[in-house]
Amino acid sequence: MSDFLSILLVASLAAPLALLGACFVKRWRRHALALQWLAPIPSLAIGLVGLNHAPLTYDVPISGFTLRLDPPGALLLAGAALLWIVVSAALWRDRQPDDRFGLCWLLTMIGNIGVFVAGDLISFYLFYALASIPAYGLFAFSDDKDRKRTGAIYMAFTILGEALLLLAFAMLAASEPHGSVRIADVMDALAASPWRDAAAGLIVAGFGMKIGMIPFNGWMPLTYSAAPIPAAALLSGAGVKAGVIGLIRFLPLAVPLENWGGALAAIGFLSTFYGVVFGLTQRNPKVILAYSSISQMGVITAALGMALVKGQTDASLNIAFYGANHLLVKATLFLAVGALAARGAKSSYTSLVLAAVLALSLAGLPLTGGALAKLAVKAQFAEGSAATLATLSSIGTALLMTHFLICLAVPLPGAAQECPASLIRFWPVLALGAILLPWAFFPAGGDASDAFELGNLLDGLWPTALGACLAAALGPALRRIGWSLPSVPVGDSIVLEEDAFRGLLNTGPSLETLDARLRQWPAAGVSLLLIILVLLTASV
Amino acid sequence: MAELGTTTPGGYLLVLAILLPLAGIILSFTPGGRSAERVALYSTPFGFALACAIALHVGRAGKPIVYAIGGLPPPLGIALRADGISAVMLIAAAVIVTAATLYARAKFATPEGARESRSALTFWIMLQAIWAALTIIFVGSDLFNLYVALELLTFAAVPLVCIDGRPETLAAALRYLLFALFGSISYLLGVALFYGSHGTLDIALLAQRVQATPVVWTAAALMTAGLLAKTALFPVHLWLPPAHANAPAAASAILSGLVVKGSFFLTLRLWFYVLAALPTDKVAAVLGWLGSAAVIAGSILALRQARLKLLIAYSTVAQIGYLFLIFPLAAGSQAWSAIGWSAGLMQVLAHAFAKAAMFFSAGLLAEALGHDQIAKLGGAARALPLTFLTIALGGLSLMGLPPSGGFTAKWMMLQASIASGQWLWTLPILAGSLLAAGYVYRILAPALSDGQVDGQVSLELLPKRSHEAIALALTMIAIALGFAPHSFFDFLEIGRPMSAVLP
Repeated sequence: MSDFLSILLVASLAAPLALLGACFVKRWRRHALALQWLAPIPSLAIGLVGLNHAPLTYDVPISGFTLRLDPPGALLLAGAALLWIVVSAALWRDRQPDDRFGLCWLLTMIGNIGVFVAGDLISFYLFYALASIPAYGLFAFSDDKDRKRTGAIYMAFTILGEALLLLAFAMLAASEPHGSVRIADVMDALAASPWRDAAAGLIVAGFGMKIGMIPFNGWMPLTYSAAPIPAAALLSGAGVKAGVIGLIRFLPLAVPLENWGGALAAIGFLSTFYGVVFGLTQRNPKVILAYSSISQMGVITAALGMALVKGQTDASLNIAFYGANHLLVKATLFLAVGALAARGAKSSYTSLVLAAVLALSLAGLPLTGGALAKLAVKAQFAEGSAATLATLSSIGTALLMTHFLICLAVPLPGAAQECPASLIRFWPVLALGAILLPWAFFPAGGDASDAFELGNLLDGLWPTALGACLAAALGPALRRIGWSLPSVPVGDSIVLEEDAFRGLLNTGPSLETLDARLRQWPAAGVSLLLIILVLLTASV
Repeated sequence: MAELGTTTPGGYLLVLAILLPLAGIILSFTPGGRSAERVALYSTPFGFALACAIALHVGRAGKPIVYAIGGLPPPLGIALRADGISAVMLIAAAVIVTAATLYARAKFATPEGARESRSALTFWIMLQAIWAALTIIFVGSDLFNLYVALELLTFAAVPLVCIDGRPETLAAALRYLLFALFGSISYLLGVALFYGSHGTLDIALLAQRVQATPVVWTAAALMTAGLLAKTALFPVHLWLPPAHANAPAAASAILSGLVVKGSFFLTLRLWFYVLAALPTDKVAAVLGWLGSAAVIAGSILALRQARLKLLIAYSTVAQIGYLFLIFPLAAGSQAWSAIGWSAGLMQVLAHAFAKAAMFFSAGLLAEALGHDQIAKLGGAARALPLTFLTIALGGLSLMGLPPSGGFTAKWMMLQASIASGQWLWTLPILAGSLLAAGYVYRILAPALSDGQVDGQVSLELLPKRSHEAIALALTMIAIALGFAPHSFFDFLEIGRPMSAVLP
């Protein structure tokens, strides 16, 4: 049995890699790309099996890589694989994206699957880079000035995050006395490591850039609004979860780190409300969804922070569940932007209701997957100010999502064309799936029937209702007194960060002048003499 | 320690490795220039085989192989000695020279019926001379012998820069020649001081005799400064950008990939072999600082170049900087110094292959597009997918993303600096990676875009598939280095003096 599972685990990566290999032969390339929706099927299978299975480990011979699948990884893997299958199949059925886009799509897919099954530092880093860097090609290969800017900003955050993680991983590896780079081993060794705190800080910052944690949130609204809807659905749904699994894997939940945990929870809650407030100033549904992602990832960060304070190792599965629910819901909401725009005024009553339920599911509307997700992280937000803040965040999410639904009434130009026809046709089915599927995956530890308890039903209902009513009532009321929300550029703080970056760029010309001087003969001669003297003084 | 100077089994291979390119030079002259190309081409497989045989012997013996010329052990005679790093560098040199030979055949061919050209003859002879010089540098163990090889290297490299005779290439070549001569004089002074004070120039013997005396330090400082001038370490890099950017692509690849590594290799020999027993912490720190400055300044300057070849040349300035971090990171005989040592050598190899491939690709681009202005690369990737794949993969290694030799190098450098508590060096390592990502992005982002602004990309001529394949093969080696097994790093330790202390 375990042999079979190991084969399946390897196949989850081998299948998309085989397609990538086929792309090198020109004749097969088109077919390989068109068939890539099949590639995540082994991942889906192993993800479903791994949910209720002891962690699987497999050492890939020669390469030195280790694959490992534990229940949190399996949960996110299954969700991501499902999303990749559905969207890829529709995309290549209805329109044939060009090879450049297709290759980037496939590479992102490989990386995205890989982060959930990587069992050692090196392969995790490799897949994490693959999940992030080629995604540039899904929206930025363009001569459009705005897209270029977005692409450059996305790339800057991605590479900066990679650099921080590289340093963090080097610390983790240096802490392991036996030279092992397996994640399980290095995390065990981290507790006694002198670099524990530095590594934790770098890990929070590095993965924080991926999940849009403030102050690294600016790229997210820009990217999601630039990306075509299928790509935005994938990036917001599955792509961001690479950061979530990273935090789950590399935060030492077993070692209570009060300081880091407290700081993380604070940043998390801050991001949660920041996302809501700035999302409310926007009118583009895609941008609002991006701010909602910032907010939701804030909830996950806060939950991780609380788990870190208390040293709750079992929190990882609960948090992964919260992430998996967000994965399905957010992707389907992005598709809703296209689907409802395509149907326009003809949108059936059903699909409007579905969109509303789906949107409010993020706020924890009872009987939806979102309610289960809130239930899952309840242990982290059990008491004190954390509980209050969590409830407030639910109200805020309901407010933001109602704002999103109102803005959805005005179809986004071009949205209908971006979304493949079959995704538009089957959107109600997808939405229903996103609402109900989480019920099938509720973590083994939790009891889904809790969700029907009256107290929990009410706890879910009143913040959602309050937030929705606020949004519905407040908007017209404000408009009547002639007060409108201030207009904030998409990506808010990114404008300031760009200014700072431009300031940094200005050092370039001065360095160029310096270089020109240094490359004069007299200067070079003096440099050489100085080097001799400095070496002499250093050695004697 | 008597065995240091006696010939070991397989020692004759070292002589053959040196004689092969030298014989090639003589052969190229004798039957006339027309056959020079063929001589170079046919000798490369033998050179590669010899390098592999040497590596095999070193690996099997687990210690350096030695050949005492004329049967006279040093200090009377001169010994050739190949250890782990020599063998690896010999293989790398053979591979890159082979690639350059195959790549340059189209440009420097002398077809039947055409008149022999001076440039073709010069190219083939200088290529073999560089190979011979590098071989001597990698297996030589006598400091004066190495001086001669270093001179040969410079005098063979300079004509390659100005081979097409344009005025700016002549200026660049002269600049290179003169500054390299300063370096030579400085190095030679140091050698003279060593000889005067110790009566031998054999590396192994010197290593036993050196004491921390002012003479030794003066000699070391002079030699090091000379070698730095030839390696073009910032701020004495004045000659490198014009020379590497103006030479023909095949020559640039050799110059950037191999020639600067020759003088760097001697710096390693000086500090890790001759002076291994002396306390060198402060000097190592100075070299590390210079390297860091090179990484930062070179990368920023690369970001600002308008021409692709100049960008790649400045990237070499930056990547050379990384090499010098080996001095603080591999110092002493702790567990981490072995990691630092592996990291430095990995960086040498990864950069050699990746940079050679990049220069080949830049040459192909310039020929195909008729220019090498980065601003006008819009949409070019669609027309030249294989070339841009090569640049992208080479860039991967320069940026230090996995899987690649560049990643392994930076990963190990970071570990060595963390484990040794030398936090400071993590900053230039990471900053260099970020900046490298910036300049690779500058090349790739416009090339991969639609390029509709300038209309369709017009190609002056389509590059030969075989040429693109050569460049791609070299980057694949740089990528494959990322999968180097542990035994490879053990091999690099063979013959390193300080590693003997390790368990």
